Amino acid sequence: MTNTISRRDFLKLGAATGAVLAAGQMLSPLAAQAARESGQIDQQGDGYISSMCEMCVWRCGLIAKIKGGRVVKLDGNPQHPHSRGNLCPRGQSGLMNTYDPDRVLTPLIRVGKRGEGLFRKASWDEALDLVASKMLEIKQKYGPEAMVFSSTHNLSQPLFENLLYGFGSPNYGTQRSLCFNAMIVANLMTYGMEEPGRDYKNVKYIILTGRNLMEAISTSETHDLSHAIDAGVKVVYLDPRYTKTASKAGEWLPIRPGTDLAFHLALLNIIIGEKLYDQSFVSRYTVGFDELAKEVQRYTPDWAAQITGIPAETITRIAHEFAAAGKYALAHNGWRTSNFVNSFGTQRAITALNTIIGNWGVTLFPALEEGAGLGSPPQPPYPRISALRLDGVPWKFPFVPLKLGIFQELRNGIYNADPYQAHGWFISRQNPVLSIPDRNKTLETFGKMDFIVTVDIIMNDTAWFSDVILPEASYLERYDPLLPVGDKAFIRQPVIEPQGEAKSALWIYKQLGERLGLADYFQYADEEDYLRQQLAPLGVSLEEVREKGYAEMPGEGKLEYSWNTTSGKVELFSETLANAGFDGMAKWEEPPMPAADQFYLLTGKVAQHTQFGTHNNQLLHKYSDEPRLSMNAKVAAQKGLKSGDWVAVTSEVGKIHILLEATEAIRPDCVFMAPGFGHISKGLTTAFGFGASDSVLHVTYTDPVSGGQALSQTFVSVEKIAGAPNEPVRKPLHLGE
Amino acid sequence: MAKYGFLIDASRCIDCRACLVACSVENNVSMKSTRIWIKDSAVTGEFPDLKRYSAPFHCMHCADPSCVSACTVGALKQNADGIITYDNKACIGCRYCMYACPFEVPHFQWDQQFALITKCDFCVSRLEAGQAEPACAATCPTDAIQFGSQKEMLALAHDRIEKQPERYINHVFGEFENGGTSTFYISPVPFDQLGFPTIETTESPAHFNRIATEEGTPIIAGAVALGMTGIYLAMEHFEKKPHTDRKPNGTEEK
Amino acid sequence: MATVNLTIKPFKALEGLPRYVYVLAVITALGLLAGAYRLYAGLGVTTNLSTVFPWGLWISFDLTNVAFSGAAFTLAMLVYIFHMHDLHSAVRPTVLFGFLGYSSVLVILFFDLGRWDRFWHFLVYPNLSSALFEVSWCIAIYSGILAYELSPVFLDRFKNEKLSRIVEKITIGMVIAGITLSSMHQSSLGSLFVVQIHRLHPLWYSMMQPEFFLVSSLSAGIAAILIGSYASIWMFKQTLSEKVLEKLGSLLPWFLIAYLLMKVVDLFWGNKIGLLLTSGVYSALYVAELALMLSAAIWFSIKRLRASRQNALYGALIIATGIVINRFTITWFALSALNGVRYFPSWVEILLLIGVSSGVIVVYALIAHFFPVFSETLAVKDLPKHELAKLKIDQPVSGD
Ligand SMILES: Nc1nc2c(c(=O)[nH]1)N[C@H]1C(S)=C(S)[C@@H](COP(=O)(O)OP(=O)(O)OC[C@H]3O[C@@H](n4cnc5c(=O)[nH]c(N)nc54)[C@H](O)[C@@H]3O)O[C@H]1N2
Ligand SMILES: Nc1nc2c(c(=O)[nH]1)N[C@H]1C(S)=C(S)[C@@H](COP(=O)(O)OP(=O)(O)OC[C@H]3O[C@@H](n4cnc5c(=O)[nH]c(N)nc54)[C@H](O)[C@@H]3O)O[C@H]1N2
Ligand code: SF4
Ligand code: SF4
Ligand code: SF4
Ligand code: SF4
Ligand code: SF4
Ligand SMILES: [Mo]
Repeated sequence: MTNTISRRDFLKLGAATGAVLAAGQMLSPLAAQAARESGQIDQQGDGYISSMCEMCVWRCGLIAKIKGGRVVKLDGNPQHPHSRGNLCPRGQSGLMNTYDPDRVLTPLIRVGKRGEGLFRKASWDEALDLVASKMLEIKQKYGPEAMVFSSTHNLSQPLFENLLYGFGSPNYGTQRSLCFNAMIVANLMTYGMEEPGRDYKNVKYIILTGRNLMEAISTSETHDLSHAIDAGVKVVYLDPRYTKTASKAGEWLPIRPGTDLAFHLALLNIIIGEKLYDQSFVSRYTVGFDELAKEVQRYTPDWAAQITGIPAETITRIAHEFAAAGKYALAHNGWRTSNFVNSFGTQRAITALNTIIGNWGVTLFPALEEGAGLGSPPQPPYPRISALRLDGVPWKFPFVPLKLGIFQELRNGIYNADPYQAHGWFISRQNPVLSIPDRNKTLETFGKMDFIVTVDIIMNDTAWFSDVILPEASYLERYDPLLPVGDKAFIRQPVIEPQGEAKSALWIYKQLGERLGLADYFQYADEEDYLRQQLAPLGVSLEEVREKGYAEMPGEGKLEYSWNTTSGKVELFSETLANAGFDGMAKWEEPPMPAADQFYLLTGKVAQHTQFGTHNNQLLHKYSDEPRLSMNAKVAAQKGLKSGDWVAVTSEVGKIHILLEATEAIRPDCVFMAPGFGHISKGLTTAFGFGASDSVLHVTYTDPVSGGQALSQTFVSVEKIAGAPNEPVRKPLHLGE
Repeated sequence: MAKYGFLIDASRCIDCRACLVACSVENNVSMKSTRIWIKDSAVTGEFPDLKRYSAPFHCMHCADPSCVSACTVGALKQNADGIITYDNKACIGCRYCMYACPFEVPHFQWDQQFALITKCDFCVSRLEAGQAEPACAATCPTDAIQFGSQKEMLALAHDRIEKQPERYINHVFGEFENGGTSTFYISPVPFDQLGFPTIETTESPAHFNRIATEEGTPIIAGAVALGMTGIYLAMEHFEKKPHTDRKPNGTEEK
Repeated sequence: MATVNLTIKPFKALEGLPRYVYVLAVITALGLLAGAYRLYAGLGVTTNLSTVFPWGLWISFDLTNVAFSGAAFTLAMLVYIFHMHDLHSAVRPTVLFGFLGYSSVLVILFFDLGRWDRFWHFLVYPNLSSALFEVSWCIAIYSGILAYELSPVFLDRFKNEKLSRIVEKITIGMVIAGITLSSMHQSSLGSLFVVQIHRLHPLWYSMMQPEFFLVSSLSAGIAAILIGSYASIWMFKQTLSEKVLEKLGSLLPWFLIAYLLMKVVDLFWGNKIGLLLTSGVYSALYVAELALMLSAAIWFSIKRLRASRQNALYGALIIATGIVINRFTITWFALSALNGVRYFPSWVEILLLIGVSSGVIVVYALIAHFFPVFSETLAVKDLPKHELAKLKIDQPVSGD
């Protein structure tokens, strides 16, 4: 089995390279030929090339330093509004993802049992032919809907959608329902746009509801918030944990999980009751104010105090401070708003708060739709799709946009064969094995599949359980469609040639499309041709854009006072929702609570990792903390637990072992785990078996309106166990400091 | 030549460690050592009244660097621009600098077969290549690390303390510590709470070292050489006895 | 059935070489194997040294060892400068001891360097303000001088009269140079810690560290001779006359008092009295050292005591203990271990140390076997009856 990559080979490979590898001492692929031609790098292969980070979805502009044909350093691109010359730790470590010794660099076809990790290398032709034939077989045996497609937001997603809709399947899974459905749907119902832009230039007062900007970093927004604080802007931060954002905020409110809605309703109660709102804005641009005013009368500060654990005086004071800041105030709508089934309500309340304070056009702006002004290859309309979606959108969940979908429900639909049995799963740039709640259930669901194909750059957990792995070129090795930001369209271009056989998604999807008879949806010769067609309307050459890093676009649309809602106004009360039998506006909804001996299990990002995709990055591994379960110090003491103890954490659906961290920095009724640890793929030499996965514990709850998953609604019990568990455990590097 | 300087603001640092990663990549630091690390106060206080501060720590680039005066082979040198450079071609890995540095800055490559020191050098090669800032300062998302001329940075430090006295304690770490440095820190809490070393002497240990090595040793040597010669001659003069008729058993005829 | 003859048959030349030498030779080999492993695998894996504890057992050993090896220059000073010719019989064994002592220091240092392949760099990259640079230089040159002072031993064997005379002639110049270099590196070893004002415990820190090291090395040296002359009774059937021992002992009070006075001066001028009362274990160690040195001073000022072989030994051991406490506290307990950092040497560190030390004895024995090292010393069998009785040696014993 010479050309069979077994788990041991992976481990060997890692042992060989892993330990000694320093960031710069890496394999040396050719400098990007294109870059050489365009003179961005000289004949020695030295130079600087601007492109875009993809270590997370914020996509900061970067400038890659190339030496002898290797990327040796990444710096933030000062001209890019998302980086402004800075990169976060993940962005800085990006080249280590590209040079990860565990990279998958040729197509792999499974030879052993699923999860056994035995694959053989294959040519692209063989792999693509196999994938295409399997997909067509499923299509003609069970219909196109039996083929499920899922992918997390990325720049080649339009082509991914061509693949699935062209193929004729309605079953489209994205990360969104695990992430921000509550926020997006709330914004759509209120403003008729997914997410208004925020502006920190004039802001004077900010309420952050669990938006941990100092750890869940978005370089430019983190920068803005930090400088706002330096300038004396007051930040009120709601989070059951004392995060690094809490430590910078003017006021930290350790609110009881799931009760943010009550807090915001009480703010509305005071601001409306005391007529502190912007009456002219409300009267001119909103509908449903009276219903809202009537509804929130019940939500007095004393009422909210009972529920949230925040004193009534505090709530009242904050309402007054917020109102005093008037249109310079901002109630941040957060990002990962997938906490409780009432998170949609919370989001509605936040939009209402912003609306009545009249901050539109001051701290909140209309967002212009992506891609405006860019061209694209011609393509025919998609075939009509009659089959129901497995995730119940819209037939069970009328208000969830198709492009958002409900990933966890999709998983359940497959699991329960409801309304029909799916047979194949095409996954790209996504790690559902870890990102969807209830890992065991997800793995069982995988078991029901005849065929799973994954497009990834490393052997992540999902790939580990797949039948075919198609290796994409990393973000430093490939082109992607242009990304419009403000009045510029930025380019991602290869700063080095792809290593091994890796190919761009643009290439992979096209190749597959042709084999599936969908050539019409991929009418571009190659990546550069695709970009040229995008640039056509702007009349700039690709060469120029490659040189500059971006193309100017027709000026940004100026402030708009019309909203894409049924009423054309900001809808504080939504007829549409009401008619469908939901609350027309924010209403209190009691979330479930843990039993006396249980804890809320909280999840949340750490600054050194992205989701479930960077834990094998040796640089991030080197500089991030050992994953532990945080528990309030006093509670731990009562339970006879101390930092460093091994504990078993048990939920309704799973159980894990992890080291305990006793800390003052969390509410007594909560415990916290950082996501993305506890990888089960042995193809990840650095990440395998390091820490534990909270996804094993998470119970699946879906908010009926937005389809958002409720990630904080899982309750666990924690027990001490003797000594280290038998599952593999590894210590992080120690730097003696 | 104008001296370079850093200003690091603990009230801004969010402990994201972008600076640590940036340094490792820029300077190709071996996976088990580092040139820069985080010093922090951990979480202090009792729920819910908590505090937490952090700041990255790297070579202070002292005005009169102890490491330079101590280095066995002169591998550590001071540039006109105040940068303390390290010559990995000369270093023998004796680790004396690790003891000489009051800030415990030089780290050793314990994982290497032929191990060297690694120490912040202000990204001198990067600056020479014409890049505006060292890697750590360039990437910091909150501008907690700022880079410029030593004068500017010191002025800026005092300026911030003056403008927001409620935000900072009135102490610029590095202004006088160890005889003055090129790296300045300001912080909302006393620096020992951040785990910084408390440096009483405003005089660098290098100063005392020079007294011992450049003055003490020559004096001792001179004194001994002269003394011994003198005594020997004196003895020769007074004691005529030839010392050739020794008995093998070491006892002497008198 | 064939029988295997297990009795070791040494080469003719090695006949008469004591048995223990073979045992030590094996230990030496093991030690050097451990050393080879360290060179191959690096310091991180093979030692327990770390970022917070960069120097360990090896450095502590080196500094202590150099103090005792001070025997060579101390004796040279007494004999050639102060013309105490009656001590001459001790010169050869002592010089050899010093020479091998320094050699072992250099060997250990070599293994301690991260870039051992560059051990010679100090010769080409001078840093005049570096104490470690001075030490390296002085020790290197001084070893040469010791070799020179040792040369008569070899020249004698080859009965090369002419050369011997030349050597005799320039000896005094060499001796003075040797004493100067010794006082330089002995004191420079103290200077190593002058720069470590933030690391070394304040009670133990002193600007006078160089002088302390220098002066204490005089006592250490003499103590070493006394102990050595006793040990060699068993190891080489050779020793020094009680007369010589008595004379050496009689000098110790002066050296020790000088040292103690300096320490006291430092206590007051550096106003460390407060520290002395409050520094717990570090005070204890401090007091212990001074107490030992003081008692030794008294001990040796009593003629009856220092005139007896055994008692001289006990006194010398007291001094040795004091020296060890001093050097180990300054390089270990009051330095790296100060902030409660735990360190215990790894088996590689220990084995290499034992190996090299054994090696010293082996080489000593070999040289003594082939060359007239003990030409002027007393053969044990010639010792007066009462002594032999005390030593429980039933005479006459012929060297086996
Ligand atoms: N470093 C890093 N940055 C990232 C990412 C990453 O993976 N790593 N991912 C990016 C993505 S995709 C997203 S969506 C964003 C997410 O960024 P955020 O929206 O900040 O989401 P999280 O960090 O997941 O969670 C934020 C906080 O919510 C708190 N929380 C949990 N339940 C509740 C509750 O009921 N009420 C309140 N008030 N707080 C609660 C948790 O304690 C946690 O501290 O980050 C983006 N940026
Ligand atoms: N327990 C828990 N669950 C969560 C969250 C949480 O905080 N806790 N957060 C939720 C949130 S906010 C989100 S957004 C989702 C994210 O959920 P997912 O999107 O499923 O997780 P990611 O880690 O973002 O998946 C990225 C995958 O893409 C791969 N990859 C990286 N670069 C490339 C590339 O260039 N090409 C290709 N083809 N693949 C690449 C990575 O190896 C990784 O496998 O998770 C949600 N689930
Ligand atoms: S925020 Fe960090 S990871 Fe995300 S794109 Fe920007 S630099 Fe990359
Ligand atoms: S990059 Fe800036 S904020 Fe992040 S750790 Fe370093 S100094 Fe602190
Ligand atoms: S901080 Fe330490 S290493 Fe840096 S210059 Fe000062 S003494 Fe040298
Ligand atoms: S380790 Fe290197 S840099 Fe440090 S003192 Fe020794 S020779 Fe100089
Ligand atoms: S200046 Fe350069 S070398 Fe020094 S810490 Fe920053 S990045 Fe590292
Ligand atoms: Mo997300």
